[in-house]
Amino acid sequence: MLNKVLTALLGLTSGLLVATVFFADIGKQDDGASTLQSVAEKVYVPQGQKDEYYLLSSGGHSGQLFVYGVPSMRKIRTVPVFSVDAATGYGFDKHSKEMLGGYTWGDFHHPAVSETAGDYDGEFLFANDVANNRIAAVDLTYFHTADILKLPNMGGPHAGVFVTQNTEYIALPTRFARPVSDEYAALDRYDEAYKGIVSMVQFDREERKFNLAYQIVLPPWSYDLSDAGKKVSGDWIVMTTYNTEFATSNQEINASQKDRDYLVLINWRKLADQVATGDVPEVDGVKMVDPRDVEGSIFAVPTPKSPHGVDVTPDGTRFIAAGKLAPLMTVFSFQKAFNAIEQGKFAGEEFGIPVIAYEDVLEREVDPPGALGPLHTQFDDRGNAFNTMFISSEVVKWNIDTGQVLDRKPVFYSPGHATSSEGDTVAPDGKYLIAGNKIAKDSFLSVGPSHPESADLFDISGDTMQHLVSVPVDPEPHYSQMIKADKIKTEVVYAKDENRPNSVWASKDARVERKGNEVHVYGIAMRSKYIFDAEAERPDALTVKQGDRVVFHLTNIDLDQDITHGFGIMDYDLNMEVQPGQTNTLEFVADKSGVFPIYCTNFCSALHQEMSGYLLVEPQ
Amino acid sequence: MKRATPKRDLPPISMFSLLLAAALLIGSLFLPWWSMKFYAPQYPEGLNIIVYPTGLAGEIEIVNGLNHYIGMAPFSEASFPEFRVIPYLVIGLALLLVVAAFVRSRKLLGGVLVLFLVGGVVGLLDMARWLRQFGTNLDPTAPIDLEPFVPPILGKNTIANFTTYSMFSWGALLLLAVIGLMAFALWNKQARTGQPRPRPAVAHPAPVKDGQAR
Ligand SMILES: [Cu+2]
Repeated sequence: MLNKVLTALLGLTSGLLVATVFFADIGKQDDGASTLQSVAEKVYVPQGQKDEYYLLSSGGHSGQLFVYGVPSMRKIRTVPVFSVDAATGYGFDKHSKEMLGGYTWGDFHHPAVSETAGDYDGEFLFANDVANNRIAAVDLTYFHTADILKLPNMGGPHAGVFVTQNTEYIALPTRFARPVSDEYAALDRYDEAYKGIVSMVQFDREERKFNLAYQIVLPPWSYDLSDAGKKVSGDWIVMTTYNTEFATSNQEINASQKDRDYLVLINWRKLADQVATGDVPEVDGVKMVDPRDVEGSIFAVPTPKSPHGVDVTPDGTRFIAAGKLAPLMTVFSFQKAFNAIEQGKFAGEEFGIPVIAYEDVLEREVDPPGALGPLHTQFDDRGNAFNTMFISSEVVKWNIDTGQVLDRKPVFYSPGHATSSEGDTVAPDGKYLIAGNKIAKDSFLSVGPSHPESADLFDISGDTMQHLVSVPVDPEPHYSQMIKADKIKTEVVYAKDENRPNSVWASKDARVERKGNEVHVYGIAMRSKYIFDAEAERPDALTVKQGDRVVFHLTNIDLDQDITHGFGIMDYDLNMEVQPGQTNTLEFVADKSGVFPIYCTNFCSALHQEMSGYLLVEPQ
Repeated sequence: MKRATPKRDLPPISMFSLLLAAALLIGSLFLPWWSMKFYAPQYPEGLNIIVYPTGLAGEIEIVNGLNHYIGMAPFSEASFPEFRVIPYLVIGLALLLVVAAFVRSRKLLGGVLVLFLVGGVVGLLDMARWLRQFGTNLDPTAPIDLEPFVPPILGKNTIANFTTYSMFSWGALLLLAVIGLMAFALWNKQARTGQPRPRPAVAHPAPVKDGQAR
């Protein structure tokens, strides 16, 4: 009897158990499938439809700009900026070759879209080259690099580029301190002979040209990142420092000794006013202002050990430092800093710079348990901040006003920067966030030891973040700008400008002019031929003498979208492209004699293969 | 009774009708008369040749660039002497209409109408001649060999990867309206009976689309 009851009970229980597990499992699978489907739908953009945002992403030590569409994360284009690019002939044609200034690579970390009233205006993108001290402007009408400026006295503008609210200035603080004027000074003289420099650059949008307005001389600390203020803090720049220890070797240990490094606050407007008075020394033709000479223009705030990013909140009232080695985010109040400055309440001086006590500027510390290695802060439109955690490989969402941690999501793996939709402007959209990761490890099909980097896309419009997709990206993603697609207005064909120097618009006007040992070709490219000399028996063959300087000016007269022509010269290691309506110039010395086929390298038409000619170099 | 001037045998309503016709005729100078639209897989948005009485518009250079593959001669305004003549013919006809409106002579207006119709037929024949010329005189050395063809004045055609649609445009509709107004002036009830009525008639305006002028 008892046995029977027990057996029945057991049977019943196990039946229930099986049923529960079984049905619960079914439910879960259904749930999972529909969640996956809804996630997939969020990133699927059908053929012919366009993405909602541009992601303009730094290409790191590739030196180039990568353009993606969000949310599909389709990579749209690599735009060459600091490095030679064979595919587009960037660094081969005369204009881009001159712009590159003899350099073949760059290290592009932080893009910044030009701003008006603190919001992206979508006209230009500025880029820093940490390796060779340059700043570049990419014209977002054409997605072509418009200008590059070499910055003297710098030691790698890692902490740039950040634009002031109306792009009055583009700030680029240095990473390494160096002696100015390319002088030599032994490392033993680091304290007095080495300087930390901030370049303040202006950009003329009409002329599409940079101007180095002035430089700021600072102590030889390393400046890591910076941000320009907004609204109430619009006149200010904040910068993080490390190596306030002045370590000149083994920085890993020696620059990590102090519990506090400094945040530096600089009033750029006061400095600009001082520069405008003309009472500023010049070093090699560059106006160089020492902010210690300008009352109220520089202050330092101690901040937890070796901070990395510092970001100003969208309303401009606070700045948030990400601790890197101190695993917390610190929220500082501009108003508190202004009050301390007004009351003259300082904790002391460092290098002649007034230091405001940490507690006098602090609003709160946010320290999510186990979140390690905070690097950068981004924002949404509802008062929340998002931080990437390099060491604990996650994104943390928290509320700026309360410090409450709202969500944490893993990323794959070790994120550097995060970029949210218009997340560093006065009006973030709060829709998407990208984590630019340094490690991809096992996420994708293996390609051997050299791995891609990766990016994780999150939907941040809800209370919690939703991971949408991980994609492999080329080395190396640092910061990006995610801008609403309709803010960028492109031209897809260069306008026909008959007054443009060296341009030719009709095949009959194509001609060759010879002046001594210089040969100038004013030619055209069209589907599917080149015409160098309309009068010649063979209009697409050019004969020169060995040693001649040859200048090809080619105009692509196919004023039709996406009909790009290439121009490659065999064995001369030369290639360029000419966009529809563009005139491009290739200049070289014909130092090798022989016969060198010329051909269109950019597939243009059904008879692209026939689009060719000859360079004939007669021996001397 | 006898007069040296033609007999004033059209009613005032015909005058209004003719003045409107003259205005529409002048208006048609600023509108396209005919167009051809080209579609291909690479050109889902279509390429246009738009013919105004005074010249060409549309993606002419692109169409020419593509046409050279089949050895078609390039279109340009310079290759059509008609563009230098048509505006004067149109203005002349409009002036004649104004004269006819004030003279109100059935005979004069009849002459203008005949002139107008003859001009129209000659114009259509001229177009057909051009289309035949462009479609059949293909350069034999062209990279793509194509059977000679005659693009239709109206309707669909297929050439290589292109599908073309030829159609009359707003200006041509205005010309039709002008003919209609002339016919109305000649044959409305009052004109036929010679009995002017007290009720003023309002001529029915022809459709004019905004923004069609070049
Ligand atoms: Cu080509």
